[in-house]
Amino acid sequence: MNLYEFCYGIIHWLVDLVNNLWYWLGDLLPWWFGDFFTAVGDFARSDGHLSVMTILLEGVVILVVGLVNVLNFIWIDRKLSGRIFDFYGPYYVGYRIGGWLQNLADGIKLFTKEIITPAKADRVGFLVAPIVFVGSSVLVLAAIPFSHNFGIATNDSGAGIPAGVLFAFAMFAIAPFAILVAGWSSNNKYTLIGGMRSAAQMMSYEIPMLLIVASVLLLAGGFSFGEVVDAQHDIWFAIPLFLGFIVFLVCIVAEVEVQPFDLPEAEAELVEGWTTEYCGMRFGLFMMTSYLRGYAGGALTTALFLGGWQGPRLIPDEFWFLIKAYIVFFVVEWMRWSLPRIRVDQILGLGWKRLMPLAILNLLIAAAMKTMGWF
Amino acid sequence: MAAGESGRIGPSIDIERARTRIDEEPEDKVVRRLMERFQATISEPAMLGKGRVRIRIDKKDLFDACRYLKDSLGFEHISMISAVEYDARFDIVYHITSYQSKLLLELITTTTKDDPSVDSVSSVWGGANWQERESYDLMGIVFKNHPKLERILLPKDTLYHPLRKDFR
Amino acid sequence: MAEMWINMGPQHPMTHGLWNLRIKVDGETITDAEPEVGYLHRGIEKLCEDRTYTQIIPITDRLCYGSSLTWSHLYCLTVEDLMGVEVPERAEYIRVMAIEMQRIASHLMWLAAYAADLGMMVGFIYGMRDREVFIDLLQALSGSRLTYNYPRIGGVAHDLPHNFDRDALRACEYMEKKLKEYEDIYDGSKVFMMRNEGIGLLKKEDALNLGVTGPPLRGSGVKYDLRKDMPYSVYEDIDFQPRSHPACDCYARYRVRMDEMWESCRIIRQTVKKMPKGKWRVVAPRNAPEGTGFGRVEDPRGEAVMYVVGNGTDRPYRLKIRSPIFVTVSAAPKMLIGYKVADVVAIMGGLDMCIGEADR
Repeated sequence: MNLYEFCYGIIHWLVDLVNNLWYWLGDLLPWWFGDFFTAVGDFARSDGHLSVMTILLEGVVILVVGLVNVLNFIWIDRKLSGRIFDFYGPYYVGYRIGGWLQNLADGIKLFTKEIITPAKADRVGFLVAPIVFVGSSVLVLAAIPFSHNFGIATNDSGAGIPAGVLFAFAMFAIAPFAILVAGWSSNNKYTLIGGMRSAAQMMSYEIPMLLIVASVLLLAGGFSFGEVVDAQHDIWFAIPLFLGFIVFLVCIVAEVEVQPFDLPEAEAELVEGWTTEYCGMRFGLFMMTSYLRGYAGGALTTALFLGGWQGPRLIPDEFWFLIKAYIVFFVVEWMRWSLPRIRVDQILGLGWKRLMPLAILNLLIAAAMKTMGWF
Repeated sequence: MAAGESGRIGPSIDIERARTRIDEEPEDKVVRRLMERFQATISEPAMLGKGRVRIRIDKKDLFDACRYLKDSLGFEHISMISAVEYDARFDIVYHITSYQSKLLLELITTTTKDDPSVDSVSSVWGGANWQERESYDLMGIVFKNHPKLERILLPKDTLYHPLRKDFR
Repeated sequence: MAEMWINMGPQHPMTHGLWNLRIKVDGETITDAEPEVGYLHRGIEKLCEDRTYTQIIPITDRLCYGSSLTWSHLYCLTVEDLMGVEVPERAEYIRVMAIEMQRIASHLMWLAAYAADLGMMVGFIYGMRDREVFIDLLQALSGSRLTYNYPRIGGVAHDLPHNFDRDALRACEYMEKKLKEYEDIYDGSKVFMMRNEGIGLLKKEDALNLGVTGPPLRGSGVKYDLRKDMPYSVYEDIDFQPRSHPACDCYARYRVRMDEMWESCRIIRQTVKKMPKGKWRVVAPRNAPEGTGFGRVEDPRGEAVMYVVGNGTDRPYRLKIRSPIFVTVSAAPKMLIGYKVADVVAIMGGLDMCIGEADR
């Protein structure tokens, strides 16, 4: 039973429950009024309405799962960094469960702050930039299914989004635009510099990343996540395309802007970089989206290289997917806290001069393998 | 003795001996060469300890003496430029180090109270630049030919010089 | 982007201490720089003219709070030169041991701040954690963690506590193990080398001319260390090597400081072994004779000099302090021009600025 059927069942049950109320009201009231309620009940039971409500419910489920994972990631990040640094991470809030509730506490704190817009900032840009940034990153989550049965776009035929990988990476790549707008509209020299650096970095790492995705899709033979994961039933793509795997990890780290690639938001240079002028929950949204993109990056790596949701049948597929995504995240965090920051022109040099030739090499290897009929 | 005239010193350098002995001690050699060159204006050589010499010089020969010290006698590094205010005069003390011969030379010039100005040695040693600015800022000594004689530690529009004795 | 002047500071998370760096930027490259100090000027030289000689010792501690023992030691040396006081040998050895521990603590704090600026938070925490070992030792010696008020004119304030030599040797062993680990973390990290090699070149002639002293000078190839070349205290009897490095960039300065930490451990071991018994303090006269006194030490940041003029009373007539950072910062434009904005952190961090002593 896939997610669609599950949500359909819930909606159906809910609609039936509410419909009893409508029909009873329709019977009770005089005819010129009661017809209205009956019509509402009939509408509620129609197929179109049920499908729409099901999709909305699916969206809410995926969003909640995603956000809970993001909370987990933030908690792991802080605990892990604490352990690497030889101190405890969050400790007191949620004492018995290891400080997990610290994230909620921080979120509540951010909610209660006053939101200030700089006087000379461009109002439209200032307002729109977080919306675009957060929205596009959450849409990435929409395209990635956790297993054959658990994905937002599984309709009753059971297939996912036809070009799921393409959609996910397209959404991933909208972020530089939002960052540029955010940095520019804050009317601040420093945020402008930070925004431009950040956009430059992201755009120059898109290219090796997409070349590697192209090589994976070449071997998989299709554009959707289901096909990519099914093509890995013999061997995970990480092993023949090992070079691509490593380069892809580096590109994800550079896209998400964690250390060692986080010069655009480096505290030592430009205070917070392109998010300096955002206060309160807007800033909280940026931070959360940063981790969300980290999670999305980990999920993409898992789906493309580490066999997605395949694993021994002991636990459900969705948990395998999550475990692998967490392992990728763990490796990224380990790298994050061990390396110094790379200077921004060195980052760009790395992206263009080192990673792109490797990505092209990887594509040639994939083409060679495909020609030899191994996949 | 007035304050600052002679410190706690060892045996005073015998000027005659400095003229006749050839390079016996590096301190003697420095004093001898300086005295040869600036006979009229040098006075009171004194040895303050191992490797430390003090000499007074008149302020009109200061720049030439510093250039001579740097170019020919190998004093590459200026350690400190201080300004001391006495009752009737300002003393400007230059501590100059030679890395090669491991010597410290304390060179003292005097300038009058009503027109405290000396030649700047920033073109000889670049390290003197900010130290002279500081002496100007806190004590009010004007250094002629300084590339940028501005206040450095106090705000730029301060009117007084705090380290003077009449500033309370 | 056109050329524009950017102000880095005075309120800035990166700059240690309160100073302003104005850089003229053309895109990302620096074309001109101008440091501005004076935000922390406390008028210490004027203050000292109203205090007795012993009352000035805590004030000199606060000159550079990162390495405060060196400054109070320098002050005591100067006044002892003025008054003609002979310090007992045990006091000299205790002073040297404490100063070398202070040097290690100061360099560790520099390393921590440097790593934090470059983005490596791990280095920050590890540096501070290891510094705690030495701060604890110095706390056992003098009673406080940052500004010690420990040397006195004529010796030191109290004798060594029990088992101090055993603890000092343990600290040295711990430190040497950790130094090996630091070399793996920093020298073995390609990113660290990328950010440090070839950055902030300061040629030898420029360094000598501009009055730069200390690790920046030794990092430009000049092997000059005041402890060896013009020794004071008991450094003549201690066997160690001044370290220098020929490459004139940020990596050389980092390397010189790490090597200095190795040498300091050696010095501490030797002082522990050679510590004589005896008095640790003689009583100095209250009134200083008329005359001048001069003292010079090798501070962790460079050459620190003091010049005192006495006039027969118990307060100095004039106290002049030369701080190494004051002059080294004036040489900063030479090291900054031609590099990128992101290198400012590495270059200025490599100079180990402590503004307390620059502004006095």
